[in-house]
Amino acid sequence: MRVFSKLMAAHFKQFVREKAAIFWTFAFPIFFILIFGAVFGGMDETIFPVGLVVEDDSAVAGQLNATFQNVSAFELHVGQRDDELEALKNGDRRAVIVVNEGFGDSVAQGKQADIDLYYDPTQTTSQQVVLPIIYQVVDGFDRAMAQAPSMIQVNEETLQAQDLRAIDYLVPGILAMAIMQLGIFAAAEIVSDRENRVLKRLGATPLRRSTMILSTIAFRLIVALCQAAIIILVARLAFDVPMLGNWAFLLGMVILGTLTFLAMGYMLSAFAKTERTAIPLLMSIQFPMMFLSGIFFPTEMMPGFMRPIMDAMPLTYLGDALRQIMVESSPLHSQLVNFGVLAGWLLVCIVVAIRFFKWE
Amino acid sequence: MDKVVEVSSLRKSYGEIKAVNNISFSVAQGEIFGMLGPNGAGKTTTMEIVEGLRDADSGTVTVLGMNVKRHPRRVKSHIGVQLQATALYPRLTVREVLDLFGSFFPRHISSDKLIKMAGLEDSKGKRCINLSGGQQQRLSVALSLVNNPRILFLDEPTTGLDPQSRRNIWRIIEAVRRAGKTVFLTTHYMEEAERLCDRVAIVDHGKIIATDRPDRLVAKHFEEQAIEFELAQPISDNELAALSGVTSALTEDGRTVIYSSAVPATISALLELAHSKGTELSNLHVRRATLEDVFLKLTGRRIRG
Repeated sequence: MRVFSKLMAAHFKQFVREKAAIFWTFAFPIFFILIFGAVFGGMDETIFPVGLVVEDDSAVAGQLNATFQNVSAFELHVGQRDDELEALKNGDRRAVIVVNEGFGDSVAQGKQADIDLYYDPTQTTSQQVVLPIIYQVVDGFDRAMAQAPSMIQVNEETLQAQDLRAIDYLVPGILAMAIMQLGIFAAAEIVSDRENRVLKRLGATPLRRSTMILSTIAFRLIVALCQAAIIILVARLAFDVPMLGNWAFLLGMVILGTLTFLAMGYMLSAFAKTERTAIPLLMSIQFPMMFLSGIFFPTEMMPGFMRPIMDAMPLTYLGDALRQIMVESSPLHSQLVNFGVLAGWLLVCIVVAIRFFKWE
Repeated sequence: MDKVVEVSSLRKSYGEIKAVNNISFSVAQGEIFGMLGPNGAGKTTTMEIVEGLRDADSGTVTVLGMNVKRHPRRVKSHIGVQLQATALYPRLTVREVLDLFGSFFPRHISSDKLIKMAGLEDSKGKRCINLSGGQQQRLSVALSLVNNPRILFLDEPTTGLDPQSRRNIWRIIEAVRRAGKTVFLTTHYMEEAERLCDRVAIVDHGKIIATDRPDRLVAKHFEEQAIEFELAQPISDNELAALSGVTSALTEDGRTVIYSSAVPATISALLELAHSKGTELSNLHVRRATLEDVFLKLTGRRIRG
């Protein structure tokens, strides 16, 4: 254990003392997010499009309508229920308020009157800004009628907008990309260590090979988790990209993804003799994967003949899994399939790596 | 004397190439044993098999009474190993690397002591990547001493170093011997073998062709002295060998060595021969025979080709 912690400390020092490594690991994905985010917009939203559907023709409903018209933070669209919900699904509304039929009668009879409130929970601005405003307005209206106790009941209905914002789609993809690069490019270091006889020199001590490998893997896992944390944090602060799912599940997926791509790195390191030949090999693996796995844009945009390639790539499944967890995008595959394919790749890479890995 | 390393009938082939072709030798407690030979002679392969870093095709290796193949980890905790040209942890400092390697062994020497032994006091806080070649090599030797080993294996410890750095390494090796440790080294420097080694095995094409004390090796093969010179136009070795007092003659890369037991007579005969052929002699000098001459005589080649 003492040896293990010493090795971890050595990895850590080696890592933080190389500025380029820090840049590629942490700054690069963040630049990616910031640049894409700026291109796709979504930064300075101060007026929110909100739909209002009034299905009741009472005077009270009319007054409520007028009250909403006066909310300066809203760009109010008054229309039919179907149209407005469609607009919400397409990402054109942040929320849709429906004043149900019989609203006015209920108020007149002193009974509970219902308002339905539709919104997309993946959009954090909806939850943090738009909903509180709506509640404030409704509350104020309720009190103004001065018929205590409050009669208006708001029923929240969540609705999955089909088209995520581009940035919401992108961020889990960038996280997946970062994990893939971390794992695959571990191969370059392994090859260089072999080339420089570091592995052999360590092999000339009683240090166990398993300790050597485990410390490397553990260290990279920690880096991957830091990377994930930073990416998620920056995406949230800069673009409101939510993390909707279960954190434990996310942690598990990040770990599984890192292990899979690390195993792939170890496997690839067996097929390059020098660091100079390793880099082109790794590039030729990572670039197609980056662009064909749908981590940057939806796979429906790909031509059909590419599908089999896409379906074979582990990055497709990691991207899909992370997207589902983080922004609850509509699934490409079920999470069970994502997990299974990644675990399958992990297993295959381990077997091939064990078969072909050379210490010198 | 106790044998701390015993190697018998060692063989190792890489495809068609017999890197180690039936090598047997032993190293005694407390001596500096050297393997001398050109690159590719099989020195490194032999040494790495002894260290337990490679498997032999056949043959047995015993280190400190332990079979290396059966107890590799136990052997590794008692020996110190230095490999050719290793670049370790470029961004760790000298002290950090020494501490890290110390942690691999149950018992180890403090990094302060090692830094002092290797004369690295001024660069102990430097990162490895910023060390000079000589400092890096001293660190490499210091690392091999970290577990206070009974036997030290040094693979070409001074290759590529300037003369000053080379002497620094020699001083460290001599201090190690004074501390009672055994040293097994490989080299292709004659001077190094002659200065450091108690016994030398001359290796060529995977075989040991002679083993003895350096002075005895020279004495066994040469009573004569060497006369070295260059000729403007070549004269055949046969003609030179026929000169008075000459036992053998060898020309390689335009440089000729003749071995003579009657130097003055040989030189006058040589000058006469050159004059009669109308050619010029240059860079003539006479010296006693060295290990280089032994190697040349036994293999027909110079060691550094």
